[in-house]
Amino acid sequence: MHKLATHIRLAIEGTYMPMGHTATAQAGSGGLTATEHRLSNGLRVVLSEDHLTPVAAVCLWYDVGSRHEVKGRTGLAHLFEHLMFQGSEQVHGNGHFELVQGAGGSLNGTTSFERTNYFETMPAHQLELALWLEADRMGSLLSALDEESMENQRDVVKNERRQRYDNVPYGTAFERLTALSYPAGHPYHHTPIGSMADLDAATLEDARNFFRTYYAPNNAVLSVVGDIDPERTLGWIEKYFGSIPGHDGKQPPRDGSLPDIIGEQLREVVREEVPARALMAAYRLPHDGTRESDAADLALTVLGGGESSRLHNRLVRRDRTAVGAGFGLLRLAGAPSLGWLDVKTSSGVEVPVIEAAVDEELARFAAEGPTPEEMERAQAQLEREWLDRLGTVAGRADELCRFAVLFGDPQLALTAVDRVLDVTAEEVRAVAAARLRPDNRAVLVYEPVTPEAAEQSAGTGQTDRADETEQTEQTGRAGEAGQEVGADR
Amino acid sequence: MSETAETLTSMEFHPQPQPGTATPWDFPAPERGTLENGLTVLRCHRPGQQVVAVEVFLAAPLDAEPEGLDGVATIMARALSEGTDKHAAEEFAAELERCGATLDAHADHPGVRVSLEVPVSRLPKALGLLAEALRAPAFPEGEIERLVRNRLDEIPHETANPGRRAAKQLSKELFPAASRMSRPRQGTEETVAAIDAVAVRAFYEAHVRPATATAVVVGDLTGVDLDAVLADTLGDWTGDSAEPRPVPAITADDTGRVVIVDRPGAVQTQLLIGRIGPDRHDPVWAAQVLGTYCLGGTLTSRLDRVLREEKGYTYGVRAFGQVLRSGAQTPVGGASGAAMLAISGSVDTPNTGPALEDLWKVLRTLAAEGLTDAERDVAVQNLVGVAPLKYETAASVAATLADQVEQHLPDDYQAQMYARLAETGTVEATAAVVSAFPVDRLVTVLVGDASQIEEPVAALGIGEVTVVTG
Repeated sequence: MHKLATHIRLAIEGTYMPMGHTATAQAGSGGLTATEHRLSNGLRVVLSEDHLTPVAAVCLWYDVGSRHEVKGRTGLAHLFEHLMFQGSEQVHGNGHFELVQGAGGSLNGTTSFERTNYFETMPAHQLELALWLEADRMGSLLSALDEESMENQRDVVKNERRQRYDNVPYGTAFERLTALSYPAGHPYHHTPIGSMADLDAATLEDARNFFRTYYAPNNAVLSVVGDIDPERTLGWIEKYFGSIPGHDGKQPPRDGSLPDIIGEQLREVVREEVPARALMAAYRLPHDGTRESDAADLALTVLGGGESSRLHNRLVRRDRTAVGAGFGLLRLAGAPSLGWLDVKTSSGVEVPVIEAAVDEELARFAAEGPTPEEMERAQAQLEREWLDRLGTVAGRADELCRFAVLFGDPQLALTAVDRVLDVTAEEVRAVAAARLRPDNRAVLVYEPVTPEAAEQSAGTGQTDRADETEQTEQTGRAGEAGQEVGADR
Repeated sequence: MSETAETLTSMEFHPQPQPGTATPWDFPAPERGTLENGLTVLRCHRPGQQVVAVEVFLAAPLDAEPEGLDGVATIMARALSEGTDKHAAEEFAAELERCGATLDAHADHPGVRVSLEVPVSRLPKALGLLAEALRAPAFPEGEIERLVRNRLDEIPHETANPGRRAAKQLSKELFPAASRMSRPRQGTEETVAAIDAVAVRAFYEAHVRPATATAVVVGDLTGVDLDAVLADTLGDWTGDSAEPRPVPAITADDTGRVVIVDRPGAVQTQLLIGRIGPDRHDPVWAAQVLGTYCLGGTLTSRLDRVLREEKGYTYGVRAFGQVLRSGAQTPVGGASGAAMLAISGSVDTPNTGPALEDLWKVLRTLAAEGLTDAERDVAVQNLVGVAPLKYETAASVAATLADQVEQHLPDDYQAQMYARLAETGTVEATAAVVSAFPVDRLVTVLVGDASQIEEPVAALGIGEVTVVTG
C-alpha cells in the first residue's frame, strides 16, 4: 500500500524480472485448452480459443536472447529487436507500427537473457494483418535493413539505456549484481541492454548475421489466442509463414550451468549519488521449470513478497530501519535463477544493521520453515498473479510460447499453478535452507555520496556492462496513453 | 530500400490482407444503485474476469487538507489498512493476502481512491476487510508515526527521480502559491512531519462517509449475490450526510518560460513542458484527445517521428492530457475543472538544445499547416479500435468508471466518447491541439546539467531561463 514499497516490488518484478509466477489454464472460462501444430519449415504453432472478447493476441518467441551474444557485442539481441520494427520487403519504414495501430491494435517487442518476443493484440477481425506482418519480417527483414535504420536505432537504444539505467538512482544495480552473480565469460554475466561501447561497435553486418543465424521459422514458436477460428487461423499461418525456409544456422548458447552454491559471499560497494543507503543481494536459486524453483518462489513470497511478509514486518514495521524491503524471483531456465533482495534504508540507518536482521530472518526461516498460514497466503498470492497473467489473451499467448520455447511443451502452461499449489511447506523450508545462505549470494551495497564527491570520483565506480531483463518497454494496454517500443511513463 | 540493402526473396509474398467484419463492442454500461447508508454502487458483470476489481472513491480532496498539513490525506489513505476495530495492522495485511487480494489507496486532488483486486471466490471476505478499513480504521498512534517517518524517507527518493522532480517543479511554476495544486500531493518534509494520529482522525471524520463515497465493482459476478454481499460488508458502514464541497476554480500562469533544475553530470535531460487546458466536460475534449495523439501519442506521432525515429535524441517523447480535477456541471457557467496538458520525455544532454529546437519546430509546423486527414483517420482508428483491448480486464473498466465518478461525468461518458471521436474531423482536431500547445504559452521544466544546457536553451528564444537547485 505504500508507494515506495510497491515501487520496489515493481522494480523487482517488472523492470528487472519477468513475472516470476506462471500461468496455467483453468483460468477465466475454466478448461482453457491449447492445440499444437508444426509447419514443414519447422515453425511451431500453438492455438487457444476464447470468445469472450472480440480480440486476438499474436505472440512470437524467437529462441535467442542476450545469452547468445558474443564478447564485444553485448546488447546486439536487443538492438536487433528494435531493427525488426524498421521495415521489411513489403512493410515500409515504420509501417509495422502504423498498420497495427491503425487497425486498432497494440504491439511491442522485448528481449531477455533467454528469448526475444514480438506481440500484437488485435481486434479479432484484424488478426490476419498481424500474421502477415510477422511473416514479412521473419522472411524478408534483410531486404529493408540499412545503415540509416541501424544508426538511428543505435542512438535510440543508447538513450533507452541512459533513461532507464544511467540517469536514475540505483539504475545500474541490476547489471552490477548480475555481473557479480555470474562469472566473467558466463552467458548471463551481461544483461540485455548491453554496454555503450558494444552498442557503438555493432555494425550493420553484425545485425545481418544475427538475423541469418537466429531468425528462422524452426527457431520460433507462434501462439495465437482469443476470438479465433482455429482452422482458418492455421490456414493463414500456413499461407504467410509456410514458404519461409528453415535453416540450421543457429549457434547454441554457451553452457550456463554452475554449481548449486556460489561457495562464498561476493560483494561490491557502490559509492554514488543516491538518496539512501541500500542493501541488494542476489541468491543463486534452482533453474526455472523445476519443482524446487516453485518452492523457492513460495519461500521468497513468504519472506519478502508483500505487506505481510517476514522482511516487511521485521524491517519496515517493527525495526523501522527500512523504507521498503522485498524479495523477487528472476526465473531462468538456462542458468540458475536469482532471488532478488532489495532493501532501501530509513534515514540514518547503517547497512550492517539491515544485513544482520535479514540474515537472522533467513536463518530462522531455514530452520523452522513457513507456518501453515504463511503457506496459504503465499499460495493465494501466486494463484492471483497467475489469474492476472491469464486474464488477458496477450498474457496467455506469452505463457504458451514461454513453456513451448523454454521447456518444449506449451501444455505445461496449463498446469503451472497446480504445481505451485502442490508444493509442501517442508519443500519450501528445504530450498531456503539449501540456498538462502550468506555463502550463496552476491551483495551490492549503496553508500550515498554528496554531488561534489560524486563528481570527483566519476568514472571510478562505473562498470561498463549492460542491463536488464525485459528490455524494451511494456506495451501497456494500448489507448490514449499507451506505450510502445518506446518510452514508458 | 537503400543501396546497402540486400534482397532475400526465397519466401512467397502475398498482398496485405483486408480486415474481416468487425464484431461490435461497446464500453460496458454499469448498473447504478444506492445502499441504505447512502453509498453509491456501480456494478458491472464482465464474463471471464475471475479477478474482481473494486474501486472506492472518497470525496476527500487535497484542498480539504488543513493549512500546514499537506499530506494528511495520503497518510490517512495509507493508514486505512493499518489496523481496524477487529484486526491489528499486521493481522489485517495477513488476512488480505490470505484472500490473494491486493489493496491500494492513494490521495489525489479530487479525493482518495481505494482499489481492491481479488479472485471472485474470495470476494465476500475481501469486501468485508475493505468495509472494515473504511468503517472502523483504528489509526493507532504508533502506526501513524511509522507511516509519517516512512513518508519522510520516501521524499528524497522522489526528489532524486528526474521525472518526479520535473512534475513537482511544473506544479510549483504553474499554479499560484495559495493553490493546493502548486504543492506536492503527498506533502513536504515540513508538512508531513507535522501530521499525527489526531490530525489523521480529524481528516477522516470530516471527509470520509458513505453518503459521499462511491464503490465500483467489476468482474465475473456469475453466481455472486452481490446485493447480499454488499449488505453484509460495505452496507455496515454508517455516517452522516454532507454538503458537496465546492471545487475551487483552477488558474495557472502559462507565460512561456524555462526552468532548469540543475543536476550536474546528468547524462540526460528530463523534459516536462506544460500548461493547463479544458477537462472532459468541455466539448473540445474529444478533439483535444485526437489532436494530442497525433502530436505525441505514439512512436509514429509527429514528435517521435522526428525526435526518435529521425534524430535518435530520445527513447520516446509523449504528449498527453491528464485531468487534474473536475467539478459538477452547473446549469449556468458550465463546469469548473482543468487538465494538465504536457509533453514529456528524456533527451541526451548534448542534444538538449537541438531536441527542443526540433520540438518547437514540430509545434510551429502543426500550427501553420495543420494535421492531415490521413493522420486523423489513423488516430481515430487506433483510439476507437483499441477499446476492446484496453478494457479486457476488470481493473481497467473499474478504473475508468471510477474516474468518471470522481470527475462528475455520466456513467455512459466513455461509451459516448468513442462516438464523439469517430465524428471529430481533421479541422477540429487541429484547432484543439494547436490551442492546447501554443508555442508562446508553455512552461518548460528541464531536469539536467545546467552548465551544459542553459546556454543552448537560452538561445532558442522559448522563454526566459532560470536555474534552480534541489
